[in-house]
Amino acid sequence: MRRMRGGTLVAIAAAGVLALAACGGSGDSGAGNQDSGGGSDALKVGLAYDIGGRGDQSFNDSAARGLDKAKQEFGVDATELEATQGETDAQKEDRLRQLAENGFNPIIAVGFAYAGPVGAVAKDFPDVKFAIVDDFTEGVDTGPNIANLTFAEHEGSFLVGAAAALKSETGNVGFVGGVNTPLIQKFEAGYTAGVKAVDPDAKVQVKYLTQPPDFGGFNDPAKGETAANGMLDAGADVIYAAAGGSGSGVFRAAKEKGAYGIGVDSDQYNQPALADVKDVIMTSMVKNVDTAVYDFIKSVNDGQFQAGQQVYDLESGGVDYSTSGGMVDDIKAKLDEYKEKIISGEIEVPSTT
Amino acid sequence: MELRGITKRFPGVVANSDVNVAVRGGTVHALVGENGAGKSTLMKILYGMQGPDEGTIAIEGAPADFHSPADAIAAGIGMVHQHFMLADNLSVLENVVLGTEPRTGGRIDFRAARARISEISARYGLGVQPDRLVDELGVGERQRVEILKVLYRGARILILDEPTAVLVPQEVDELFGNLRELKAEGLTILFISHKLDEVLSVADDITVMRRGTTVARVTPGEVTARQLAELMVGSALPVPELRESTVTDTPVLEVSGLTVASPEGRTVLDDMSFTIHAGEVLGIAGVEGNGQAELVEALMGIRSLDAGRIALRGEDITKQSTRKRRDAGIGYIPEDRHRQGVLLESSLWENRILGHQTKPPCARGPLLDRAGARADTERIVAEYDVRTPGIDVAATALSGGNQQKLIVGREMSGEPVLLIASHPTRGVDVGAQAAIWEHIRKARAEHLAVLLISADLDELIGMSDSLAVILRGRLVAEYDPRSVTPEQLGSAMTGAAEEVS
Amino acid sequence: MGRLSLRSVYLGLAAPVGALLFALLVCAAILGATGHPPLEVAEAMVGSLERPRTAANSLNSATTYYLSAVAVAIGFKMRLFNIGVDGQYRLAAMLAAALAGASFMDALPSVLRIAMTVGAAMLVGAVWAGIAGFLKVTRGVSEVISTIMLNAVATALVAFLLNPDRLAVTVAGSNNIGTPTITEGGRVPGFGYPGSSSDVFGLILLAAAVGVAYWFMLNRTRFGFDLKATGQSQSAAVASGVNVKRMVLASMLLSGAAAGLVGMPQLLGASYSYALDFPAGLGFTGIAIALLGRNHPVGMAFAALLWGGLDQTSNVLDLSGVPKEIVVIMQGVIVLSVVIAYELVRRYRLRLEQRDVGRALGTAPAAEEVRA
Repeated sequence: MRRMRGGTLVAIAAAGVLALAACGGSGDSGAGNQDSGGGSDALKVGLAYDIGGRGDQSFNDSAARGLDKAKQEFGVDATELEATQGETDAQKEDRLRQLAENGFNPIIAVGFAYAGPVGAVAKDFPDVKFAIVDDFTEGVDTGPNIANLTFAEHEGSFLVGAAAALKSETGNVGFVGGVNTPLIQKFEAGYTAGVKAVDPDAKVQVKYLTQPPDFGGFNDPAKGETAANGMLDAGADVIYAAAGGSGSGVFRAAKEKGAYGIGVDSDQYNQPALADVKDVIMTSMVKNVDTAVYDFIKSVNDGQFQAGQQVYDLESGGVDYSTSGGMVDDIKAKLDEYKEKIISGEIEVPSTT
Repeated sequence: MELRGITKRFPGVVANSDVNVAVRGGTVHALVGENGAGKSTLMKILYGMQGPDEGTIAIEGAPADFHSPADAIAAGIGMVHQHFMLADNLSVLENVVLGTEPRTGGRIDFRAARARISEISARYGLGVQPDRLVDELGVGERQRVEILKVLYRGARILILDEPTAVLVPQEVDELFGNLRELKAEGLTILFISHKLDEVLSVADDITVMRRGTTVARVTPGEVTARQLAELMVGSALPVPELRESTVTDTPVLEVSGLTVASPEGRTVLDDMSFTIHAGEVLGIAGVEGNGQAELVEALMGIRSLDAGRIALRGEDITKQSTRKRRDAGIGYIPEDRHRQGVLLESSLWENRILGHQTKPPCARGPLLDRAGARADTERIVAEYDVRTPGIDVAATALSGGNQQKLIVGREMSGEPVLLIASHPTRGVDVGAQAAIWEHIRKARAEHLAVLLISADLDELIGMSDSLAVILRGRLVAEYDPRSVTPEQLGSAMTGAAEEVS
Repeated sequence: MGRLSLRSVYLGLAAPVGALLFALLVCAAILGATGHPPLEVAEAMVGSLERPRTAANSLNSATTYYLSAVAVAIGFKMRLFNIGVDGQYRLAAMLAAALAGASFMDALPSVLRIAMTVGAAMLVGAVWAGIAGFLKVTRGVSEVISTIMLNAVATALVAFLLNPDRLAVTVAGSNNIGTPTITEGGRVPGFGYPGSSSDVFGLILLAAAVGVAYWFMLNRTRFGFDLKATGQSQSAAVASGVNVKRMVLASMLLSGAAAGLVGMPQLLGASYSYALDFPAGLGFTGIAIALLGRNHPVGMAFAALLWGGLDQTSNVLDLSGVPKEIVVIMQGVIVLSVVIAYELVRRYRLRLEQRDVGRALGTAPAAEEVRA
């Protein structure tokens, strides 16, 4: 009896779906691919975001900007998919696989969580070009049709760390990390090294907003503000917000106390959403995910695809510090000096804490 | 007020059929009947909560048609419910005006309301102080607030639903005093009860209901309580009595120095000692709330002792768990069957297992014996006349009396050595009552020891080999049931005879 | 009796079917209102379920969801709200992964390795849930509060342990961090699914076994009876001799042990390591599924399959231009309507039963008269 009940349940549910569908379906059947424009041989780009997706005010957004630029310039056709909280690798893999099955080429996976899935799917679709942002693990996500777009975040962070130390009057600076992951620890390592390079006695306060698997720390301005206030009360006068969308809270706290904030990922001084606090954003550690994504699409578009790791570092301009607002103009010379030393290899920036 | 030919059907059941009640103005009219005789349905019809399918209601000769309690209130009918509908954290004044706030210019005119309450209270001798918090009032006082509330709304006919159920004897007397005052002021009172002594003492007329219809109309002068009871049940009453003594000198339950304090630190059982022998029924008489519940729970191991010792068949069980005690052969018929006796949402056969989880026929080792439990449930249903379409229905579908029969049957199975029975026949029909008594007698003859707690003095006197009276947590008097009268017991229960015995 | 049981079949079906139809209507309305023809959405979803890979993944999701639901249901049966299944399984999976990935395990036979891993996970889950049980029994702390807190503590503890200095290892170039990868002998091989590149978890059998054990425990053992009795009426259970405190502790331990299993299919069947991307939040999904399946071992299995299927088809929705959040809405509507429908049907069934008893009584008075 019980079995029948369940079986019937499923059957009826299925029947219900069909019946409803029959009632509701009419006309307008072209709603499938919203971006289907040209119909020519334009590229069909598939882009899979990590949790947060477009609109996360952080690196997913940065990737989206790169895609948008490519769309404009090459008229590519694009579909964007996004991860859900609590999903498995199998679901991520499925996402990429369905893009590949539906004829998307190239396919871009944003975030290290796609490492395994990209590796697996790329093997089954040797003609499709893949890119993964933020990961290069030999044997996992490497292959003849995978480009690994990685960044030297520690190098850029070193420069803004140096800037922080140079600007600090108290010899006390802060680091607010969004989520305690190895990636963000890389930011911290570079930042701390930069601070210490300028002032070996300077104090660096470090705080991560959340612990994985809670990735809310990348999008919680209130938490950012609380953490920043704590640091300011403890004497910090410059705080680096490596915390995505939570940075706005850090800047608000800094503005209140007359301190400086340092932005991350993009030149945050110019972000419209941060207009009211931009006068405290003395610089930003720019991580050009958009450039990387754009470059990758361009390379495929031009038939210049290159597999393997492509490091976006200071030398290539993939990471940098920003000067908008003119607040670091007085120390620009010193920062550029450090930059040269890093590029030349004179200074080796640690990537782990 | 007159009700003629009232009939009310519910799907599958006729709750009222051809009910005729004529209430003379300015009198106390009692409506009596067993549980389930249709009193509540009739009351709901009278108060406009349900409409009759057939029949008419007339108030002072004029036909009335109530669609809601508001209609009934407008016609001057007021209802005092058994469960008080008062907000504890409001004052008497606020409770009384709630819903009918007198307003002057949008503000509640408390001054006018207070004056009217004082006036009503004085006129009928209710002694209600408008500014006290309901929270501070005793049960009797709350009831008077309820009465005042309906008077405040202009009621001329008061319906009181089992008003004495919650009162202690002194409060009952006070209530009857109030009722006489109300009557003297020309109000009409419809008094619903199944306590016959009370009905006989306060009513001018009595209408008896049985199985949904009115079967007799009598006046207190012409009937005795026993005759009235027989009218209620429609047959000669079974008499609780024990034939010959089966008392042995083997002690089964020995209690000494039993002392229990409430969580607030009040002593609820004070140095209680008694012994029950095999084949003996010890009856405990007392006004509810004098420690009976605590005594039972202490014996069952549900409540821990502050001092004292309990031994079952010579073995100290003071520290044993409830389950060990049950395994040792204590059967338990709880006072509140919904709270302690049944799982309302479970089937009858699952309820058969309750309390007997460890023993055959319900269990084999750590596993349940479903077939055994089901078969034994069928046996109980047959032997104890549990009215049910089957043993797979949920217990909640049964009437209270049938639930009780199931519990009694369950607790009497497995040859218990001691039965703790709180109100074993409360709410069951007469046939089942006789059957339950017979089962207890039979088990007693086979050396069952019984602790019997009951509010029915006839049952206590008839079924006990020895009788004790509990008052404020102490056993204050012992009686020989062969010679004691209900009156003697009654006065001992209220403490009046404390010095004498 | 025949009539009664027929009716109970029909009533049993009424709630889930009615609720599902209602939920589908609501979703169709939402889709229609947002300009997505329900026909195409339904087609896309059904079509994707026919894809072997989606089907296999649905089964896999359902496996973990089911384990989580059973863990929740054990508590629910006793009116204990174990909100902490999430923390319990994450901590358990992490520690079990560390054990399974440890190098000394390579020397052991495969079966023993797997048994030790699964056993360790159950133990950790039980201990973590047991803390909440212990606090409730000794200090009267509400298990809702304590298990929520313990979720946060588990998160912090996992983050602390998932560090190269402690239980984790890093791989050059990777931004992920996790426990050492479990080698071949510690893994549970899956079942191939024709046409699908991903296997069905071998531990789906474990989930089935847990379901059977749960059913057996509830319906065939004294312990299960005590558990249900306590859930229905604590006072009646106490009077029947149940030691409620012991039951609270025992059921929290059991619930936690079941929770410990939640991460195992994924760990031993796919991930082979507990890393940052190990699925989180399954404990909360379990609550929804336990509600949906009414804590019934078979009901929860169907609920888990439904849920897993919906989850797996959400990618397709995105591809066809429908926001996949529609799936979340659908799941929410289904849970709400099922819960409401079950309550309505329960009340209706009770009324019917009461009427039946009324009928049986209505024919009986004659007998009573005779006896009297």
